[in-house]
Amino acid sequence: MMDSITRKAGIAAVAAFGVVLVSGASYSTVSAQALPEGFKKGDLAPEPSAEMIEAGKRVYFTKCVWCHGVDGAGDGPGADRLWPRPRNFNQGTFKIRHTASGELPLFDAKKPIPGQNDLFETVTHGLPGSAMPPWEGILTEEQRLQVLSFVTTQLVKDRKFTDKQSETQTILELAAIKAKPATDESKKRGSELVVEKKCVECHGMEGRGDGNAFNLKDDWGFSIQPADWHKCWNFRGSRQDPYNVGNIFRTFSTGVNGTPMPSFADNTTVDERWDIANFVNSLCERDTLGNPLPIDPLTDKPKINFVVPSDLVEGEIPADIEHEAWKKAPKRYVAMGGQITHKPRNFVNRIDDIWVRSLYNDKSIAYLLEWDDRTKSVAEGKLPWAPTQVNIDIKEQDPKTGESESIAAHQNNYTVYNDAIAIETAVKWKELPAPIKPRYLFGTNDQFPVDIVKWEADGSLRAFKGTGWDKDFEERDNYEESMKLLKGEWKDGRWYVMIQRPLGNKKDQDYDEDTFFEMGQYIPTVFFAWDGHNGDAGRKMAVSAFFYTFMNPPIPRETYIYPAVIAVGVVLLEGWVLTRRANKKKGKTL
Amino acid sequence: MKALMSLGALIGVAGLLLLGGMIFDVIPSTTVRLVEGYMPMQMLFELTCFVAGFAGLSYMMSVMGMPFPRFWQGIGFWAFILLYLKYRVYPPIPFSVRAMYGTVSLVAVFMWVSASEEDWKKFKQPIMNVLDAQTGLNRLLRYAYLVILPILIGGFSYNAMVPKSEEPIELRTVHPAPPASTKVHGKTYTLQTSQNPYRVNQEGKYDQEYTNANIVEQGMGRLMKPNANPWDDKNQGYLKYVREGGEIFFQNCHFCHGDNLNGRGLHAFAFNPIPANFTDPGTIAQLQETFIFWRVSKGGIGLPNEGFPWASVMPPWEQHLTVDEIWKVILFEYWHTGYYPRTWD
Repeated sequence: MMDSITRKAGIAAVAAFGVVLVSGASYSTVSAQALPEGFKKGDLAPEPSAEMIEAGKRVYFTKCVWCHGVDGAGDGPGADRLWPRPRNFNQGTFKIRHTASGELPLFDAKKPIPGQNDLFETVTHGLPGSAMPPWEGILTEEQRLQVLSFVTTQLVKDRKFTDKQSETQTILELAAIKAKPATDESKKRGSELVVEKKCVECHGMEGRGDGNAFNLKDDWGFSIQPADWHKCWNFRGSRQDPYNVGNIFRTFSTGVNGTPMPSFADNTTVDERWDIANFVNSLCERDTLGNPLPIDPLTDKPKINFVVPSDLVEGEIPADIEHEAWKKAPKRYVAMGGQITHKPRNFVNRIDDIWVRSLYNDKSIAYLLEWDDRTKSVAEGKLPWAPTQVNIDIKEQDPKTGESESIAAHQNNYTVYNDAIAIETAVKWKELPAPIKPRYLFGTNDQFPVDIVKWEADGSLRAFKGTGWDKDFEERDNYEESMKLLKGEWKDGRWYVMIQRPLGNKKDQDYDEDTFFEMGQYIPTVFFAWDGHNGDAGRKMAVSAFFYTFMNPPIPRETYIYPAVIAVGVVLLEGWVLTRRANKKKGKTL
Repeated sequence: MKALMSLGALIGVAGLLLLGGMIFDVIPSTTVRLVEGYMPMQMLFELTCFVAGFAGLSYMMSVMGMPFPRFWQGIGFWAFILLYLKYRVYPPIPFSVRAMYGTVSLVAVFMWVSASEEDWKKFKQPIMNVLDAQTGLNRLLRYAYLVILPILIGGFSYNAMVPKSEEPIELRTVHPAPPASTKVHGKTYTLQTSQNPYRVNQEGKYDQEYTNANIVEQGMGRLMKPNANPWDDKNQGYLKYVREGGEIFFQNCHFCHGDNLNGRGLHAFAFNPIPANFTDPGTIAQLQETFIFWRVSKGGIGLPNEGFPWASVMPPWEQHLTVDEIWKVILFEYWHTGYYPRTWD
C-alpha cells in the first residue's frame, strides 16, 4: 500500500516537474501578447535583507517550527495528526497566489500590500479549513515579513525567489479588472460553464466536493478533497472575507499549485471566469433572505445560535423537505468538532457542521438534519460489534509516525463503516436545577442518563440510554417502534435525514430513559455525527456543543390584549399631562 | 480655545464617519480593530475621543451661529452611547449588561443637563414648547406624539411579551477552587507543596529564577530570547524540556487551544465553553503550576459543578499522557506565553 503511494507521489512529482519545465519554457519564448487574459508580466522581488532573515528565524523557531519542522519540510511534531498536513516549504509550492500556475507566489519583504503579497496575506489571514491560524494581531506586520523572509530564502530549497533564470512572475491584475455584477444571467451562464469546463467532475453536481473524491492526490501523494462550494468560510483562499467573489475569481484564474486544481486562465475569458465565480459564490450557504451568513470574527465561521426552535404544525409532520412548514422552519448551523476527549480521539473530523430544523405536533417532534458528506458510506457485511457497544476496537492515531503512517496518508484507506447521526437529549432534565445537565458524552451516570436516538446509513433507527462515556448503551424497550424515519437520503454529497420521535408522556413512555419534550422549555440537545469513510465508529466521531431544542409555544391571547391596554393607558396619561399643563398656564390648580 | 475645540470637532466628525461606515459596511468593518486584551482600554479611549469630538462640534456650531439645542444634545449623546455599546463592542455585551450601562449613562446625561437651573430650563424648554403648542409646527408635533407614543409603547410591550427563544444565560466559574490534593496515575500530589520537576536549570536543580529568565519576551509577538532557542540541540535542563513539552502540546492540545495558545484551535469554533486562552492575563498567569496540573490531569469531567463539568470537552489528560508529559506541557505553556506561574510566596 505504502509502496504504491510513494510511487504515485514520485509520478506526481515528475509530472509536476514536467509541467513546470514546459510552462517555464513556453513563457520564455512567447511574447507579452500571448499572456492569458487579465495577467501581466511582473518583476521578481529583491532579496530580503540579511537582518530580516535572521530576525525571521527567531519568529520561525518560536511559532512555526512546531508544525512546519526544523527544515521546513512540513514534518514538525504536530504534523502527523493533521490533515491537510502542514506545508512542506522545500519545493516552493504554494497554493494561494496571484501568479500563473506553477509560478512562485508574490512575496516582497518591503511591500505588505493586500493583493501584491500572497505569502504575507496567507500568514495574516491563515488558511481556514486547515490548522494554519491567522497571525494578524499576534505577530506584528514586521514580524510576519521577517518570518517569510526566512522561509522563502532558507526553507524553500528547490527554487529561488530571486533567480531570473528559472523564475517568472505572471501576475493576475485582480485590482485592475472590473468585477462583473452577479446577475441571474451571469450566474446561469456560470452554472452552465462549470459543467462545460468539467468543474463538476471533481466538485460534484451540486458543488459539494463529492466528485472523484477518492482518487485525487496532491504533489506529495496525500489524498486531497475538492472544495465544498457551499462552505465558503472553509476556502483556503477566503482571506477572512468568505463571501468576496474576488477570492474565487483569483483561485480559478491561478489554480492551486501542488493540487489537481488547474488554472483556467488559458481556456476561459475573464468574462467567463466572473460568471463561474459568481455562480460558485452564489452556492455558499445564505440565510432565508439570501444574505450572507454573519461570520464570527473570532472563529471565521458562521455565528452560532444555540437554540434550535421547533415550530408547531397541525396534523401529521410532513415528510417532504419541500413542504411549506419545513421551508418556513428556522435553520440552525450546528458546528461540529472532533471528539477529542476520550480515546479513540478523532483529530480529523470530516463532518464540521450540520444544518438542523425542527417541527412538532401534539404527539411527536421531528428533526431534519442535513450535512455535507462527500461519500455515502455503508459498511459491507455485518459490523464486528453490537449496536449498543461503545468501547470498540478502533485505534487512535499515534502522535509521531512519520509521513507514511500519518493521518494524511490514512485518508481513504480506512475500513468503511456506516455514516451515522445521533441526537442526544437529557433525561429527567426538569429535575436537574438549570444549568446542570448530564455530561455531553453519553451522560453522567445511572442517575443522570441521556436519551440517544441514532440513525445509521444502513437504514436503522435505534434508541439507547447512555449512562457514561465508557459505558455501553442500554436498549430502550419498544421505543424504536414509536419512532419513525421520515427520510434518509444521500444525494450529491449531502445527507438528508428526518427523524420523528414521540414528545413523551408518563402514560406511554418510560420517564427514566426517555426525554419528555415540553413546550416553551429549553431541552439540552447534543448532536453526534460519524463519517464511515473516515473510519468513524464508536467514540471516533464528530460532536457538537450543547444546543437547546425549544418548542415555540403558540402565541397566547394576553400577548395581544395587554399591549392594547397599555396603549390606552398612555393615551389617558397624555390627556392628563396636557390638561395639567393647560390649567397651570391659565393659573388654575386642580 | 478655538483651535482646541476645532481639533475636538475634527476628531469627532472623523470618528463618527469611521464608526458609521464600519457599522453600515461602507468601509470594511475591520478598519479599526479591537485588539485582544486591550479592548476595555481601547473602548474607554474611543469614548473619550467621541466626548471630545462632541464638545468640539457643539462649540463650533454655536460659534458659527447654529447652536444645537441642549435637549437634542442630551438625547443624541445617550442614543450614541447605546448604539456604540450595541454595534461596536465585540464580543457582544448581553442585553442585561447593556441595560445597566444605558441606565448609568442616562443618569449621567440628566446630571449634565440639570447641572444648573439655567441649563435645566434650556433642556426642558423644547418639551414645554410642544406641550403648549403655540406655533403650527409644535401643534403638529404634539398631535404626532399623541399618536406615535401609544403605538410605540404598545409595540414595545408586545415585543416584550411575545414568546421568544433566546439563548439562556449560563454563568460558569472559570477557575473553581481546587482540591487540596489530587491523585494521578496512582500517586497523590498535594497541590500546595508540589513542584514542576522539569523547572530546572542546566545542572538539573529546581530553579525558578533561571527558568523565568529563559521564557519568551513579553510584548508583541512574544518571541523567544535570541540565546534561548528550545530547538538548540545542545540544550540541557529547562529549554530541553520546553521543547519536549511543545512537541506534546502540538500533538494533543493545539486542536483546541490553538497554535498560539490563544484558544483558537482547529476545533475551537464548535465548543461551548470555548477553550481557554493562555495568552490572556486572566488564565494561567493567575494560577499556580499545581492548579494547572490538577486541571490538566482531571479535565472537564473532574471539575466541580460550578465549572460545568457536563459541557467541557477538556480531556482528563491522565487518560492520554504520563505525569511527566503533563508537567512538560505545563512548562511549555508558561514558556510560550511569557508568563511566570504564581507561587505561594
